[in-house]
Amino acid sequence: MSWSVLDEEGFSRCCRLLVQQSQSLRDGWSWEPGQGSAEGYLRKTTLRTAAFTSRPEREPEGSGAAPEQHTAPGRAEEPSQSDLAAPAASGDADDLTGAEDDGADEDDWVCRAPAESSSRVLQYEYHVLYSCSYSVPVLYFRAFTLEGRSLSLDEVWSCVPPQYRARLQQSPWNTITQQEHPLLGQPFFLVHPCRTDELMRPVMQAAQQQLRWVNYVVTWLSMVGPLVGLEMPLSYAALSPQSPTATAAEQEPSEA
Amino acid sequence: MADDKDVLRDVWFGRIPTCFTLHQDEVTEREAEPFYLLLPRVSYLTLVTDKVKKHFLKVMKAEDVEEMWFEYEGTPLKWHYPIGVLFDLHASNTALPWSITVHFKDFPERDLLHCPSNSVIEAHFMSSIKEADALKHKSQVINDMQKKDHKQLWMGLQNDKFDQFWAMNRKLMEYPTEEGGFRYIPFRIYQVHTHTHTHTHIYIYILAGVSPFLLTLTLTLTL
Repeated sequence: MSWSVLDEEGFSRCCRLLVQQSQSLRDGWSWEPGQGSAEGYLRKTTLRTAAFTSRPEREPEGSGAAPEQHTAPGRAEEPSQSDLAAPAASGDADDLTGAEDDGADEDDWVCRAPAESSSRVLQYEYHVLYSCSYSVPVLYFRAFTLEGRSLSLDEVWSCVPPQYRARLQQSPWNTITQQEHPLLGQPFFLVHPCRTDELMRPVMQAAQQQLRWVNYVVTWLSMVGPLVGLEMPLSYAALSPQSPTATAAEQEPSEA
Repeated sequence: MADDKDVLRDVWFGRIPTCFTLHQDEVTEREAEPFYLLLPRVSYLTLVTDKVKKHFLKVMKAEDVEEMWFEYEGTPLKWHYPIGVLFDLHASNTALPWSITVHFKDFPERDLLHCPSNSVIEAHFMSSIKEADALKHKSQVINDMQKKDHKQLWMGLQNDKFDQFWAMNRKLMEYPTEEGGFRYIPFRIYQVHTHTHTHTHIYIYILAGVSPFLLTLTLTLTL
């Protein structure tokens, strides 16, 4: 009996519901079909303002890229007016409006960074894929400056809210790493999925005991997302599922 | 397992003779000679090419040197694939030595993962091992192993020590018959599309212990 994981069909259903709710909340999630008929992933792009430490032009020879070792002071650039006004490279107008409406989130997002860092507008792209190996969803993401430069792992780490950074760095398996996107084949960052079932177990057990249906993907995203700048509005919880009876049946334990 | 030891040794000690040539656009103080190396099939490019880097650095200025990356006939080589896989995918039908081009600038951000240190390779390798064990043993064996055991597994690969590696890896290869064996057998299928042919060559690597062990079966399917 395995309440803390999710089978692929359950994943698809949770995602479909999430997209429906996202549409009514104008939260920007879409479902991207993969090459197979059932395969696919959730996708969302946002603009975020973040204070982060730029990496220098070249990698120092032989140095480890440990997150806590920020290298020489980055180029401090003033965020120009054109940065803020320019539309994102591949985002559409709706994403832009959505991000600007999230004014309340920006204070949470700007982290206390060393003096040489600068405040930049960054474009984040989030994908949620299903991992067959771990039977859980996985959060992949990448980040760019508005000029289209990819952020390095160091820079991504410098944007993780300080209260999460220490905990993530302690546990090597729960960390942010760069890997190849399973469907697109391109480099993405991800939050490692091997502890997701532990994370979800208390929530899913409680829901089962209370005979309450919980959208695994929404709940999981609300916990993991903030680590990497992705917020899930509380309104998702307020919206009830379209077909509670069908979804109650989904909560059959997956094959152990 | 004892009968298979010869096969395991043959796989572990597989080598590919390789010629590394500096790309013509790289700025050098004098002409760069090519560098020859026998690459272990079961290892990773960035783990075994320190000598290549040192060789070319001798003819370059420090300010012209950024992260080293490799390319074969215009295709950036993904260091996070085992060397044997890269060779089979890209160059198995060509004559040896395998000719790889070396770059120190214009890192292809959209194609390649960064590899600033060996700890990144270690993390990637251990991540694959862990994922395989999730499939084989629901992660029980890998989680029961101590940190020093994980370290020994990695050091065995890094230092090309078959016995040191397999002392740990055999635990991951045990399948308790009372529980019906492995839950699932991990496979990793690498696909390459050759536009000129109607067949798609699919290389299936049976991951005995998950990369680096590659028993190559080539299947030609008409799709």
